[in-house]
Amino acid sequence: MSDSGPTPDQRLTLARLADVLVAEGLGMPAASAVGVADGLLDRCLDAAPALAEPLLALLDEVPADDLDAFVRGLAARRPDDFAILTTTVVGAYYLSAEVRELIGYPGQQPSPLSAAAEPEYFEMLERVYDRHPGYRECP
Amino acid sequence: MMTQRRQSDALIVGAGASGAVAAARLAAAGFEVVCLEQGDWTGPADYMSDRPEAELAWVERWSPDPNVRRGPADYPLTGEADVRPVMYNGVGGGLVQWAAMWQPLLASDFRVRTLDGVSDDWPIGWSDLAAPYGRVAREMSVSGLGGDPALPELDPYPNPPIPIGRIGLAAARGMDRLGWHWWPGANAIASRRHRSLQACQRRGTCMLGCPENAKATPSLTHWPAALAAGAQLVTGARVAQIPLDERGRARGAVYVDRDGVERLEPAQVVILAANAVGTARLLLLSASPRFPDGLANSSGLVGRRLMQHPYRTVAAVCEDPLDSWQGPWGQSIYSLEFAETHPDRDFVRGAKWMVMPHGGPMFAVAEYQEAHRHEDFETLWGPSFHRAAAEVFGHAFTWGIQAEDLPEDHNRVVLDPAVCDSSGLPAAQIEYTVSDNTRRMLDFNVARAVEAAEAAGAVSTYVRDIWPTGIGHVLGTTRMGDDPQGSVVDRWCRAHDVANLYMIDGGVFVTGGSANPTATIMANARRVVDHMIEARASQEVPA
Ligand SMILES: Cc1cc2nc3c(=O)[nH]c(=O)nc-3n(C[C@H](O)[C@H](O)[C@H](O)COP(=O)(O)OP(=O)(O)OC[C@H]3O[C@@H](n4cnc5c(N)ncnc54)[C@H](O)[C@@H]3O)c2cc1C
Ligand code: SF4
Repeated sequence: MSDSGPTPDQRLTLARLADVLVAEGLGMPAASAVGVADGLLDRCLDAAPALAEPLLALLDEVPADDLDAFVRGLAARRPDDFAILTTTVVGAYYLSAEVRELIGYPGQQPSPLSAAAEPEYFEMLERVYDRHPGYRECP
Repeated sequence: MMTQRRQSDALIVGAGASGAVAAARLAAAGFEVVCLEQGDWTGPADYMSDRPEAELAWVERWSPDPNVRRGPADYPLTGEADVRPVMYNGVGGGLVQWAAMWQPLLASDFRVRTLDGVSDDWPIGWSDLAAPYGRVAREMSVSGLGGDPALPELDPYPNPPIPIGRIGLAAARGMDRLGWHWWPGANAIASRRHRSLQACQRRGTCMLGCPENAKATPSLTHWPAALAAGAQLVTGARVAQIPLDERGRARGAVYVDRDGVERLEPAQVVILAANAVGTARLLLLSASPRFPDGLANSSGLVGRRLMQHPYRTVAAVCEDPLDSWQGPWGQSIYSLEFAETHPDRDFVRGAKWMVMPHGGPMFAVAEYQEAHRHEDFETLWGPSFHRAAAEVFGHAFTWGIQAEDLPEDHNRVVLDPAVCDSSGLPAAQIEYTVSDNTRRMLDFNVARAVEAAEAAGAVSTYVRDIWPTGIGHVLGTTRMGDDPQGSVVDRWCRAHDVANLYMIDGGVFVTGGSANPTATIMANARRVVDHMIEARASQEVPA
């Protein structure tokens, strides 16, 4: 990432591109509405700094209008650049606490194994044992 | 060049799975051991797995692909390959990042030529590894359930199996309906506190480093004991060559240290444990007038017969909530139903299946998008973007299907003529094509896994094609055998051509089986070093 990070113009451009990819729908907010081009972008680039340079270069070449065609063009003809853009947008989107709550995702939280629970699968496993012909004997 | 210390008894190259087993065992038996490792220590302070950004770690810093990660210890992997290897370079090797699935080979894997008329038999059999399998399973705190009828009897695992969770139960019900084999997965993840490991907390970030110290990795399981017994581990030491003395014996290793200084580390015995790519590369780098095609390569097989377990996945989307982001990201259950050759099928040998969670939302959506990548933009993006998460997230499990690829001479590691690593050593160039046998095997198994998903009640399934980057399994480039013309090392993993040179990583596999290889790599390393120790005790000089 350049020392100064994304400029306000680059953030604005990213917000518009991001909404082409992740639009409002099915009860979920659009990417820009949760801040994909703001604080979440900074967290995303901090976690994966190699995204920054190609992303910012890409944002600088986005035309003022017809963003839809631009994004579709990337998808069809520039898979590497498309991957940079989508990884950033999707990665930042799912960092949003609001989005996580809406999809019922608590994060990769610790939750102890319950080793004491009798395995429910015991009967099924007996059937595996009963029907299996045994391993292939070898000379 | 600077010569280091005095000559050690055993010099190990690589501090990964096999190198760690050897160092701990040899040091405990009183050998003076030095290990040279090009990478560094990695520990909880380096993990990003307890941060909300954990999934983004996979994009770069914790990518298993060294070409993406580009860490200081990584060497480039070049070439046009259908499947490009992935690996981790540092103390612990691949076991820093592994998913910890613990799977012994089948008994038939050692007799593929005799039973199926293809490939070759191993010079050893299952019974040679039975005891070492048990020993390394204890060292690795494996949690699992014995008694799988598809395998010969094993020593009981030291810890009870990890509960199979909702994903495993759903998948098992499908297998039960079809009458197919399945078994609770064994994993080198502690289901309770055991030796150096804590009990697993189901975070599911196992491949990004376990923040709970519940996943077995050599920096916890082997290196503390090895160092306490006097082994020396030199990190940041990239081995460039194995030089020979006038009698044609290995003198030790020449390595480049962190400051770029070339040093000679002398030793009586040299043990290569740099994985099937790294060891082959090092032997090729060590070409000399005596061995113009690479050290210990009179057979011409060094680097050849690379095997990688080409891999596909079938995701099963169910109506019931399955909490499928929860860990561990090892194997919940596995199946060997289609692992053996069957006369009605149009391929030989088979595949192993295992059930895994889908990770967090970024991983789950990425998998879905990859499987649907040929569909229209509208289907995947815009307002439809949310369909993937709504349908899949928390409701899916994945059958991972790894194929036994047969050893083929043209699948190989060579030196790149142009690209070098940061020490100026030629990169490893990978030449690897997926054979028709493997493609037919995977097509057949994917079709069966879709049936298994449907029998499990899946409302939809989606399938990924062969992964272009591998799953970290690299095997076969320095195969063992009794015939010096048809193998690189003998049954004790000693080079046929160089009396004091051993190889103990996955390169020595004769065939790959379909099992995740590390249990066998570690058990075999244990078998070999136990033999060295016995040989020394009986005054036989092993070298
Ligand atoms: C993401 C991922 C998931 C995996 N999951 C599983 C799993 O669930 N189950 C399973 O069985 N296996 C799994 N594996 C595979 C497992 O990691 C390997 O089988 C195992 O690590 C191989 O052991 P090894 O001793 O052959 O080599 P490695 O563990 O790869 O160690 C080789 C070491 O040698 C060092 N080295 C190489 N060249 C040099 C040199 N020139 N000088 C100095 N040092 C050198 C390397 O830096 C490295 O540390 C996985 C791998 C990856 C990457
Ligand atoms: S699931 Fe268990 S082993 Fe995996 S990261 Fe979490 S605590 Fe560690």
